[in-house]
Amino acid sequence: MSQSSLKPSETPADKNAYAGLWAVVLFAAAVGFYASLLVGWIVFPKLLYSKQNQPIDFNHVVHVGAVDDSCQTCHYFREDGSFAGMPATADCAGCHESMDSLQGENPQEKLFVQDYVEKDQKEVPWFIYSKQPPCVFFSHAAHVFSPKMRQFRDPEYQLPEEEVEEGAYDDTTCHVCHGFIGESEHNRPYEENRITGYSRDIWGENIAGIKKHTWERMKMDDCAECHEKVKGHKEACFVCHK
Amino acid sequence: MEAAESHEKQKMYGMVIDLDKCTGCGACMVACMAENNVPFRKDETDKFKSITWMRVYLLSNKKDYPYSDICYLPRPCMHCSGRGGHGHSPCVSVCPAVATDYSHATGIVSQIYTRCFGCRYCMGACPYHARYFNWWDPKWPEGMKEYLSPDVSCRMRGVVEKCSFCFHRYQRAMDLAFTEQRTELEENEYQTSCTQACPANAIVFGDLNNEEHQVAQLVSEPPEGKKKFRLLEQLDTNPKVYYLTSKDWVLSAANRSVKEEAKKAESGH
Amino acid sequence: MKLDRRTFLSIGAGAAAGGAVGSLFTPLPWKLTDDLSIWSQNWPWTPDPARGEVTFAPTTCELCPGGCGVSVRKVKDRCVKIEGADGNPVNDGGICPLGSSGLQILYGPTRIKTPLKRAGKRGEGKWKPVTWDEALGEVAAKLSDLRQKKLAHTAAVYVNGGEGTVNNLFLRLATVYGTPNVFVSRTAWDTYADALLHMQGEYAKPAFDLENSDYILSFGCGIIEGWGSPVRMIRVNAQVAEAGSGKTVVQIEPRLSNTAAKAGKWVAIKPGTEAALALGLCHVIIREGLFNDEFVSTFSQNFEDWVDEVHTEHRGFKRAVLEDFPPSAVEKITGVPRAQVAKLAREFAAAKAPVALFGTGKGEEAGTLYGAMAVHALNALMGRINQAGGVFMLPPDADFNWPAPAMDALAQRSLRENRIDGAGTDRFPLASELPSRLGEVLADPKKPYPLHALLVYAADPAFTLPETEKVLAGLSQIDFVVYCGSQMNDTAAMADLVLPDHTCYEKWQDVPTPPGFARRHIGLTRPVVKPLFSTMQAGETAIRIAKAMGGPVAESFPWSDYIQCLEESMGARLADMKENGFWEAEPDKGPWYTAFKTRTRKFDFAPRIISPAFPDTKILLPTYEALTPAGSESGFPLTLIPYENLRLAAQNVGDTPFLVKTLPDSSLMNQESVVEINPATGKAFGLREGGAAILSTPAGETRVRVHFYPGVAKNTVALPKGLGHIGYDDYLAGKGTNVNALVGLLPDPVTGHNAALIARARIVPA
Repeated sequence: MSQSSLKPSETPADKNAYAGLWAVVLFAAAVGFYASLLVGWIVFPKLLYSKQNQPIDFNHVVHVGAVDDSCQTCHYFREDGSFAGMPATADCAGCHESMDSLQGENPQEKLFVQDYVEKDQKEVPWFIYSKQPPCVFFSHAAHVFSPKMRQFRDPEYQLPEEEVEEGAYDDTTCHVCHGFIGESEHNRPYEENRITGYSRDIWGENIAGIKKHTWERMKMDDCAECHEKVKGHKEACFVCHK
Repeated sequence: MEAAESHEKQKMYGMVIDLDKCTGCGACMVACMAENNVPFRKDETDKFKSITWMRVYLLSNKKDYPYSDICYLPRPCMHCSGRGGHGHSPCVSVCPAVATDYSHATGIVSQIYTRCFGCRYCMGACPYHARYFNWWDPKWPEGMKEYLSPDVSCRMRGVVEKCSFCFHRYQRAMDLAFTEQRTELEENEYQTSCTQACPANAIVFGDLNNEEHQVAQLVSEPPEGKKKFRLLEQLDTNPKVYYLTSKDWVLSAANRSVKEEAKKAESGH
Repeated sequence: MKLDRRTFLSIGAGAAAGGAVGSLFTPLPWKLTDDLSIWSQNWPWTPDPARGEVTFAPTTCELCPGGCGVSVRKVKDRCVKIEGADGNPVNDGGICPLGSSGLQILYGPTRIKTPLKRAGKRGEGKWKPVTWDEALGEVAAKLSDLRQKKLAHTAAVYVNGGEGTVNNLFLRLATVYGTPNVFVSRTAWDTYADALLHMQGEYAKPAFDLENSDYILSFGCGIIEGWGSPVRMIRVNAQVAEAGSGKTVVQIEPRLSNTAAKAGKWVAIKPGTEAALALGLCHVIIREGLFNDEFVSTFSQNFEDWVDEVHTEHRGFKRAVLEDFPPSAVEKITGVPRAQVAKLAREFAAAKAPVALFGTGKGEEAGTLYGAMAVHALNALMGRINQAGGVFMLPPDADFNWPAPAMDALAQRSLRENRIDGAGTDRFPLASELPSRLGEVLADPKKPYPLHALLVYAADPAFTLPETEKVLAGLSQIDFVVYCGSQMNDTAAMADLVLPDHTCYEKWQDVPTPPGFARRHIGLTRPVVKPLFSTMQAGETAIRIAKAMGGPVAESFPWSDYIQCLEESMGARLADMKENGFWEAEPDKGPWYTAFKTRTRKFDFAPRIISPAFPDTKILLPTYEALTPAGSESGFPLTLIPYENLRLAAQNVGDTPFLVKTLPDSSLMNQESVVEINPATGKAFGLREGGAAILSTPAGETRVRVHFYPGVAKNTVALPKGLGHIGYDDYLAGKGTNVNALVGLLPDPVTGHNAALIARARIVPA
């Protein structure tokens, strides 16, 4: 361009003004930086997830104490090898028969019997923390009973020579993946990702996606990581997808 | 991957279809559609767009009345293991998304719908037309969604689908086996829907690697008077579906090479 | 420092840059990217079927008379799949494509969900839902009204079969109400039963022990296309393909059907001439002395010539066959070379356990009485009655020990009225009912009287009777048409009132012995799911109609409900049925000297009818009478025949969406039926493969597509049977042409029943 377009009237005062502006801009940048950290780490997770309470507040401790067979009393394998998952109201009604025979004093129990058991054993619309997309196939049987997993949990384990009627397993088996849910006295609120519609438990509580325990994240990478560890390779997609 | 699994007993699930017994009734096609949540439309007469994982083809000896003869040929996915059985089936080799994959543990070629982005390379690569594209979102008439099975995920528009040898039945059977402390399945524990339905018992399914399974026996020693063949064997696709026939014209129709066909086309016959 | 525009922007840019850099130290961009990519893969409108416990519930399939045991796979309360029941003696784990797609009926839009009253013009498809009380009240009121006006005979009842409790409740209703106009869908099995009545003296259905037969000679039966119980028949046929089985099937048929292709031998024959070939085989067997001498000489009569009380000489079966059906004559009639006739006869006679079968295609057409008698005579000649691998007699499944119906004077009198179709009159003395004439009769301005009401249970006369146009016009003339069934089929679409039945997945009901099955076998349907809609078991509907009418009609229905009726009717059998899903009994396998119920206790080769209807002695000497379809050979140079197979449901249940999907484009193309034509004939008529054409017969014309098929003879065209529905839903209605609309009535000269679906035709490119 032509020389005449240079700024002829630049003075020291102007220079100061520039320095001042730079300082302000840097300050603004710093504010922006910290604001961003604040948003990213604290505000964003609050905005990203909606919170809902379970329809009934369930006390695992009380139930584990009352039943004979720990977790598998209610979360059992069916005869065909499939896993029942959340017990149906009919299962619960085995103990919580009617309002006349309440098991305790807890108002939540009353609520449950009144609104579900006594209404044709209507199913409770539980929010499932671990709900996976419809294209996922997950086999509890493989994870609980397969020799590979047994060896993983117990390096001493040997596959029995003869067929065994039913594979015994205990709470420690469940803890490996589920943590200590049996020790909870209340349900925590169910948080749902507003964008994806999936439970927060899939990504995990930690917004950075950092986990310390198996049960803290349930993304595909977490499955693959463990499969690689246990089986030596990530395996065909079909193993977990349908 | 192969090495990693070598210490496990590898399966090679396959099928033997006796064309002498097949009556073309279509029970396999319907049993497959009912099992696998296969959609349908009001007009299904354009067979290029009609999704039929299991499709029954009609062969003709092309002779005139009364010497004409026909033979039905059911065609599921062939679950090719490719040259040398290394798992390089035509479709798996071309999929840019790893949406289709060869399992060395079972010999089954998988198709993951949510992984597929619909480029349809696999359809072009498959010499058996066993792959189908969802041009539309499937629609079920009012009320009919009730019968959909949770074992097989429903597809959406823009993805390719195909026969899975009812892999979900394998998964279910394995679930039971695991709870009974087994890692091996009995022959009858895992059967495809078409095999189970076939009123003629023309379809036999099982592990080709297991000498005790009927499929392995039929392949190693076809019944007297019957010959076995596979479709387009000369392409080295190494399909896992075998056919039996006692009719020479069926055999020669199946063995006719692509070169011969091309030659015929050139010479204008 | 002034906060001018430049400063403002600079600060803003600084904050943005800082924010941007800062965000890289937060999970936000990574998490958002991940979430958005997951969101982009969400297809909320793609169904996610609910999971749950898987159970299996047994019932019996009722979609055809085959009576297969099925096992319905359920996830929680939903049915998700129908499979064949393992161990069931009929189908042992196998299933046909129709049965396999039954859930499309249970949950599909063709279901009738509540009683419906016609709201628009007849057949327009406009309905008003009504309550059960209103609906049943209206039926009872209309029927009572007719009865009081002494017009009980103008109300007709149409059912799909004469066996089982529910059919018989409707038949009983007709009797006590007082109408002679009872129609039962007429099949080849009924014609064979008539043949047994005349030749063996007892009305019984034939039971074929095909599993133990080594030579099955089929006169046009679609063995693997729906004749008998489909899965059982396919199993029988598959035995042939078993290496070293020594079993063979010989198929005599004009077209290369699936059965013909799968048979050990296909004998191509001119349409409608099977009886002549059967008699030709008898000729060779008799001439060469190959027949069972013990049976013929000791246990049969009228084989040799005989003289009656007035000293008139009559030809016996032997002389008639030897004179009239030498292979040379048979060749002329049937087109089967004489050498082949002789060879077939020798093979049949030489086989260890041969058996001959009757009934064209699925056996849904009555056929001719002489045709059935000729085939049965062939069985008799070889002594194949009550022998392993042969044919047995099964009395109909209607032994319920019901109390005698209470008949008042009104009913007794109106029952004596002549039937509207002329059955049992001098014109048709050998027929008890002639449903195939219904279209013709209703269209006839000189009919004896009009029909005022028609109650149809589960049948679909609007679709299955020949001369569809006349049938539809005739139905429109009836004041009050009531349809009772579970699906909106063609007849339901033409009705004034529809009373929906449960499906076989929702109800208790007995299912009679499958046609041709080797043993008596009563199946049981049972509720796999609770009824989904406001439907009622049809037996219950019949009982309630009767009760609502009061008086003697109600008295004849002493049961509190259908369940009680079923329990009492089945008696001790019910325990087996509940435990296994069926009850079975062996047929009477008695020796020949006890087998026949004729006056002489002998098998009769040429039974004589003694009836006031025949002033001269009428002797049913099996012979062949040429059937001549309407139309001139010059105007209609081609012969039209229908073809049937398992992918084409053509009875009271139509194709499901899955079944329509399996139809090859050689049966259906877009919305048009595809006609098969011999390539040479097709080219001669200027047609091309896949091209459109107009197919006309004296009865009507239709647009079709052309398929060159060398499996049909020159100058023959074959059209798929089972298309061209007016009822059902968009997945079936309006697709293709109903063969019945193109085919005129072709009566059996002896009985009056429709002998065959054959017509003269011409075809021109469209």
